[in-house]
Amino acid sequence: MADLEITNLHVRTEDREILRGVDLSIDKGEIHALMGPNGSGKSTLANTMLGHPSYEVTEGKIVFKGQDITEAEPHERAKSGLFLAFQYPVSIPGVSVANFLRMAINAKRQEPIRVKEFGEHLQHAIELLDVDRAFTSRHLNDGFSGGEKKRAEILQMAMLSPDVAILDETDSGLDIDALRTVAEGVQKLHDEQGLGALIITHYQRILHYVKPEFVHILMDGRIVLEGGVELVERLEREGYDQIRQEVSAGAA
Amino acid sequence: MPLETTATPASNGAAPARAPKGVAVKPGRHREASLYHALAGAGAGDGRSLAELREAALRAFEQSELPVWRRSGFWTTSFEELEDELLEPDEHLGKIDPTEPATEMRIPEFVRSSLPQRPHAGRIVQDGAAVVHVELKPELAERGVILCSLEEAAQEHETIFHEWYCRRLTIDRHKLEAANAAFWSGGVFLYVPDSVVVEDPFEIVYAISGPGAAQYGRTLVVGGRQSDFKVHEYDLADDFVGGQALHAGAFEMYLQDGARCRLAQVQDWGTGDVFDASTRFVGVGRDAYCHWLPALLGGHLARHHLELAVTAPGGDMAFRGLFFTERDEHLDTFAVDLHETGPSGGDVHWRGAATGQSRASFEGLIQIDPGAQKTHTYLQIHTMMLSPKARLDAIPSVLVSADDVSASHGGTVGELDEASIFYMASRGLDRPAAVRLLVEGFFEPVLGQLEDEPLEELVRERIAAKLARARDDIEAYATAR
Repeated sequence: MADLEITNLHVRTEDREILRGVDLSIDKGEIHALMGPNGSGKSTLANTMLGHPSYEVTEGKIVFKGQDITEAEPHERAKSGLFLAFQYPVSIPGVSVANFLRMAINAKRQEPIRVKEFGEHLQHAIELLDVDRAFTSRHLNDGFSGGEKKRAEILQMAMLSPDVAILDETDSGLDIDALRTVAEGVQKLHDEQGLGALIITHYQRILHYVKPEFVHILMDGRIVLEGGVELVERLEREGYDQIRQEVSAGAA
Repeated sequence: MPLETTATPASNGAAPARAPKGVAVKPGRHREASLYHALAGAGAGDGRSLAELREAALRAFEQSELPVWRRSGFWTTSFEELEDELLEPDEHLGKIDPTEPATEMRIPEFVRSSLPQRPHAGRIVQDGAAVVHVELKPELAERGVILCSLEEAAQEHETIFHEWYCRRLTIDRHKLEAANAAFWSGGVFLYVPDSVVVEDPFEIVYAISGPGAAQYGRTLVVGGRQSDFKVHEYDLADDFVGGQALHAGAFEMYLQDGARCRLAQVQDWGTGDVFDASTRFVGVGRDAYCHWLPALLGGHLARHHLELAVTAPGGDMAFRGLFFTERDEHLDTFAVDLHETGPSGGDVHWRGAATGQSRASFEGLIQIDPGAQKTHTYLQIHTMMLSPKARLDAIPSVLVSADDVSASHGGTVGELDEASIFYMASRGLDRPAAVRLLVEGFFEPVLGQLEDEPLEELVRERIAAKLARARDDIEAYATAR
């Protein structure tokens, strides 16, 4: 069994069913890409994996490291090693990046992290993501630019060392330099810490900098196509419409 | 052409006229902000002695009913439930013999464990009706600083006492104010002479140890020309059961030309049935500055009239405050940013939250008197609801009677943001931890202005303790939505 195993996942919000039977397996150390057009259910899947209260799982299950976490509280999922980099990170006024990181790290530990250890850890992450040290004393996401918010997400990911991270459209709204920094950060965490990642994206751009081994295409709440990196190239050539036609022809 | 604006429907924009000195404003029921008269004292300059003022206050006390403040359509703050025995001061005066020498050991344990461990310039503690402890650094006494009970000041420092006592505080607007002016005992007097600069704070403590205490606390602070000092007031009670207690407070501070003061107040009456009706006035003289930050952390029933007035050209002030109520507490705050002359500056920023079934109401008033040209001031009030059964009202008002000024107000009304809580949960923080962070973050823009680490820590701890007690309410609020 894979570290993260999603089986026949059906999810609805108050007004409609969004995911209609998703199967997905991710192991630590693997990089997956989940692609799909707008409205296909990508963000729903990301949020459901972390237990967002607005999404109701009506069928199927999520098993992480052998534990069924389908009904687990969001903070318990995080503590067991899942991470979500948000598409739209919220700002937390009055709380500095560094203080927030320290609290998040301590939430996963019995003993609070030592100041020196935290400092070294933070320094490493800062260098990895090419951010200014002053960045960490600013209030989390408060007044951050789009690029700064995404860097702060990856900085948190680096500090929290999850087993599997879900990156929900981390590439959207980034200029090419920020995109490269963020993508290279993910690649390094994969290489250094054996991070497993599910990179959710609408576009191919980020996949030029971080190479997925597995690619899944989500349409209308189902994974309709799976393969390797060659799928990204095909998508670039043909676009979602072409693939949609083929899939519906195949299904008919 | 004088310009009058008002931000609230209940405010009728009446021209701010000062009640003449010595003339009693009708005691009883009040709707202050709708027809606001700035405090105009009964003491200094009207020739009456302390005994005569006490006598006049006693008559007002006898002729008036317990006060009820109404803000039509919003809230009513009534002291009618206050028991009669708390209005009989003599009985309580005898509880602690004020002639006994004050010692450190007479500071109640709950006060000692609450006060931050930090250097202080002086400390005075009143427990119930009597001052039980006074200390002042000898080198400050040598430089002419006076810190003593107000009773002592009335006898030993008669000249300065009479110059300032009741200069702006009234004695007869309502029964509890009159009771204070008639019955006050103990009390605090602080005088910082001209040009004296003191780094560490003077600590003033009003403590209530149990039911039946009637504390008519009275404070007079005078800052000499170019003096620079800090005052930290603590209003604390033990978590008692078995009856009511009363703190009817009066506080006046006068900052003379060029004086600077950072004034902070931590008021937390705990879980006992403490009634608090207090009036505080700070007068900022020519080119003087006051930074005033009350942290009002609840009590059974509290009504605060807080008035920060620029009384001479060039005066400047920052008026920051926070309040946080829980359980069935009721807090009614009326904060006035008064500009009697210009040029002057003001910056008013308040933040409040409520849990449980508590009731917190705040009215902030900017008043710019006729002729107070070149005044620039801003009032903002932000609130956060943390329980489905709590009620929070915040009313900003602006009364302007000068035309070359800028005065405006703004504010927000918020609730716990579920998106933020999910965000933090996705980083491993459970709900109580996330809520605590959000609430602390909410208060931080005001709390950080204390610029005093031990005091900030004390207030943070008390906020955290309130949140911990309100955990179920906060949970219920989330699921109800």
